Amino acid sequence: MNAPIFRDDLTIKPQGLSMSNEVAALKGRLLKSIGRSVYVYRVDCGGCNGCEIEIFAAITPIFDAERFGIKVVPSPRHADILLYTGAVTRAMRMPGLRAYEAAPEPKIVVSYGACGNTGGIFHDLYCVWGGTDQIVPVDVYIPGCPPSPQATIYGFAMALGLLDQKLKETHHVEGEGESVPLIHPEIPYALRVAVERRAREMAGYLHGKVIAEAFLAALAAPEPASVEARLAALTAQESDPRVVEIYGQLRAVLRAMVVEQAS
Amino acid sequence: MNAHTPLRIGSSYVAALRAKLPHAVLEERWQTDRQATITVKLEALPEAVRTLYYVHDGWFSTMAGNDERGLNGTYGLYYVLSMGGAEKCHMVIHAQVPEDKPEFPAVTPLVPAAVWYEREVRDMFGLEPVGLPDARRLVLPDDWPDGLYPLRKDSMDYRFRPAPTTDAENYPFINDAKQETTVVPLGPLHVTSDEPGHFRLFVDGEDIIDADYRMFYVHRGMEKLAETRMGYHDVTFLADRVCGICGYAHSVAYANSVENALGIVVPERGQAIRSILLETERLHSHLLNLGLACHFVGFDSGFMQFFRVREKTMMLAEMLTGHRKTYSMNLIGGVRRDILAEQKLTTLKTLGELRCEVRRLVDILLSTPNIGGRVTNVGRLDPKVARDHSPVGPVLRGSGFRRDTRADHPFAGYLSGATPINVQTGCDVLSRTLVRVSEVFDSMAIIENLLNDTPAGPILTEDFTYTPYKFALGFTEAPRGEDIHWSMLGDNQKLYRWRCRASTYNNWPVLRHMLRGNTVSDAPLIVASIDPCYSCTDRVTVVDVKKSTTKTVAYKEMERYCRERTSSPLK
Amino acid sequence: MFKLLKEIFRTGQATALYPFAPPQTIKDSRGKPEHDPVKCIACAACTGACPANALSMKTDVAAGTRTWAINYGQCVFCGRCQEVCPTNAIALTTEFELAVARKDDLITRATFKLAYCRTCGAAFSTLKEVDYVARLLGALAETPKEAERIRAHAEICPACKRRLDVEEMAQANPVRQMECL
Repeated sequence: MNAPIFRDDLTIKPQGLSMSNEVAALKGRLLKSIGRSVYVYRVDCGGCNGCEIEIFAAITPIFDAERFGIKVVPSPRHADILLYTGAVTRAMRMPGLRAYEAAPEPKIVVSYGACGNTGGIFHDLYCVWGGTDQIVPVDVYIPGCPPSPQATIYGFAMALGLLDQKLKETHHVEGEGESVPLIHPEIPYALRVAVERRAREMAGYLHGKVIAEAFLAALAAPEPASVEARLAALTAQESDPRVVEIYGQLRAVLRAMVVEQAS
Repeated sequence: MNAHTPLRIGSSYVAALRAKLPHAVLEERWQTDRQATITVKLEALPEAVRTLYYVHDGWFSTMAGNDERGLNGTYGLYYVLSMGGAEKCHMVIHAQVPEDKPEFPAVTPLVPAAVWYEREVRDMFGLEPVGLPDARRLVLPDDWPDGLYPLRKDSMDYRFRPAPTTDAENYPFINDAKQETTVVPLGPLHVTSDEPGHFRLFVDGEDIIDADYRMFYVHRGMEKLAETRMGYHDVTFLADRVCGICGYAHSVAYANSVENALGIVVPERGQAIRSILLETERLHSHLLNLGLACHFVGFDSGFMQFFRVREKTMMLAEMLTGHRKTYSMNLIGGVRRDILAEQKLTTLKTLGELRCEVRRLVDILLSTPNIGGRVTNVGRLDPKVARDHSPVGPVLRGSGFRRDTRADHPFAGYLSGATPINVQTGCDVLSRTLVRVSEVFDSMAIIENLLNDTPAGPILTEDFTYTPYKFALGFTEAPRGEDIHWSMLGDNQKLYRWRCRASTYNNWPVLRHMLRGNTVSDAPLIVASIDPCYSCTDRVTVVDVKKSTTKTVAYKEMERYCRERTSSPLK
Repeated sequence: MFKLLKEIFRTGQATALYPFAPPQTIKDSRGKPEHDPVKCIACAACTGACPANALSMKTDVAAGTRTWAINYGQCVFCGRCQEVCPTNAIALTTEFELAVARKDDLITRATFKLAYCRTCGAAFSTLKEVDYVARLLGALAETPKEAERIRAHAEICPACKRRLDVEEMAQANPVRQMECL
């Protein structure tokens, strides 16, 4: 239902830009080690503002990117790095290109955030071009929606050759005899699902999963104590009153199912 | 329930409309006990909206166009009014535009607040507002082909990207000044925060005579996306990304609209968590704006201090939601994460520290000697102008109007009532700033109350089914004012139509009036005082008509001038 | 002015030391989704739930494979994949150091073998998914014979299942079948 269907005839790609060998060589040197302060010009090509504010946060006291000589400048003519955010809306295509052309060579283009990298959640919409690299060549991609200030600092440090890239393309191919273990096979499937569902309604997908797992583990624990005693012990160990309340709810689910089975 | 149950708040408005326009009211439908949709004859539309707006203290919330040709052969127009009188409710005036004659009488000549909405419905649906003087595009970019209306169901696939018709940016700007003026374009790119937008200031020497702006550089087509690629739950994540700073308010407003349409009762604990997060969002948003206010009056140390303190609220947001932007927390029917004891205690502790720090910073800001002169009586929003254009949030409250969605139309965790409304009557930049300051402290108190007394029980309900073509409004009070969403469900597990209106949409049109009569150096400060989803612009072109010269001034220069007020760039 | 200086001295050093010290991560913060391909059954629950289409699934019938992929550049870190995954094969971590110079480095793939319908021979699922479903439902069986029947049933594609069900119904109760017509 949610899957996109890519049809080339629907999408006209804007013209890309090319770069001379000489400029490419200069740029390579810049990317390897810049050895001085860098000036950054931000180009918002139609983001939601989240990225802009996180960049802001990255240059204010707590994260303070200016420690590394990274300074935001008001004109692309001063810039070493152009920081593109946003999915490149139609209206921002020309301003985005003008900013690129105004910056002196060699320049580094950083694509910031999910929208800048690929278009993000907006990737296939009629009024966007789907990412920075659709209009200008990109040197570094910083994922995130938006990237946190720490991710921003990491991205810059990587662009400037200070830190190494961690993420690598990987491709797992299914091996012989790969088989996924069942979760708590000793507990009836319907009961496990009922417990997990109730836990999610009570505490959400994240805490709910942890709480349900603790509950199911106690349920599946080997004898000698009775089920009731094991669950009572689990509840007694818990100091958070909210979690105690949720355990109570899960025990009610268990009782209801046992009664249903019996009748 | 029948249509005349006394429970229904707003019945008197319906009766008044029926009395005023005896043969024009065709149908009334109630979505909730405080939400009615009244279908009127097309020719009576402007008068019906005017009556509710000016006679019964209605405020223009939003207008949704809807291509209902597949359902009943017409385009629907839904004018939404938030009633401010004795009966606080939402009244929706609905009129049907026939398929073969896609035009309707414009409401704007009677109610100026409708102007952007009617321009937008022309862009997106090709419905012509007859009598609307402004013939320019609003939302669609300059390079979009004529005659292609994105939101018509049969016009195009949501992925269709027509080739650009032009590389020129040819939007005509309007200047109402009588005398000769200088043109000062600002944008669309700029250095400080935020999104692109283009301003033109028309100046005579240093004085702003008029201003016009071109927004929607970031129009992406979200409303079309919501009714095509996405399912109901996906749209909550899309709504988060309407705005990078008050996104959660949008997500709640959207979820609310669907919940209202289907009569889903969200568990109390889920509602309380929604309110806690909305207030957290208000905290970080207002602290950002207070920081910017420091920045624009040349008090950069204050700016840095506010940003340092603001990080505490970001930490809270990350701890409570897993994300600094309070993103991705909603589903239809509730929220996705609970607040456990550990998080509750950390939040209460952090709020205690935050309160002391913010109090000290506000004290420093207000006692800085040159502040008063820069913000008092600057950027006045006349209450009469405000009444005509329906701005929202601190912009409206700074001009003396007691309007706050949390108190007027309680939702989420505000249902118990007693949400304080902060009002200032100075109508200037100072008043708007002071409203925000009070709201920061109120937000902290609201969060503490909700945390100390969080209802027990689930945070999410999944006990409902979707009914096609049900529709309703959902609303929240975002940091910048009311966000309002209108959703209609479809028959394919998707929305039929989603109309999302951000608070700043209602605030832009009054900005022009606020800029008039001020000096160029105050422009960035005034723009920042409406706390727009961006505060400034990049580039200032100055056209002095008297001297017949055009000059482009870098934005930074404008901003520097705003802060230092020496060496005018216009000389 | 004095107040401001006092505030500055009171604050002292506010800046976080990262990257010179380990990053400050908050528990349960939503960072990189980590996929464990060994635990994945390629059921496509996550690809359907992902609002940004960062997750995708492509079937290559000729090669007999189905390939799952995540594009970290498109991901909005909402955690819906973690929420819907039936086998806990994907979960968000607090890892945020994801910047890359080469766009392809943003993509992680996992390829699985296709399963073919034991009746018509068409590819309809992955071997791991069929195996998982057969064991999950097989555990509900009360006799080994019943378990074997469930296992066999899991290896039939939905189209064949429909056809077989109709045939079975027709044989079991021809009169009722007539009534339905």
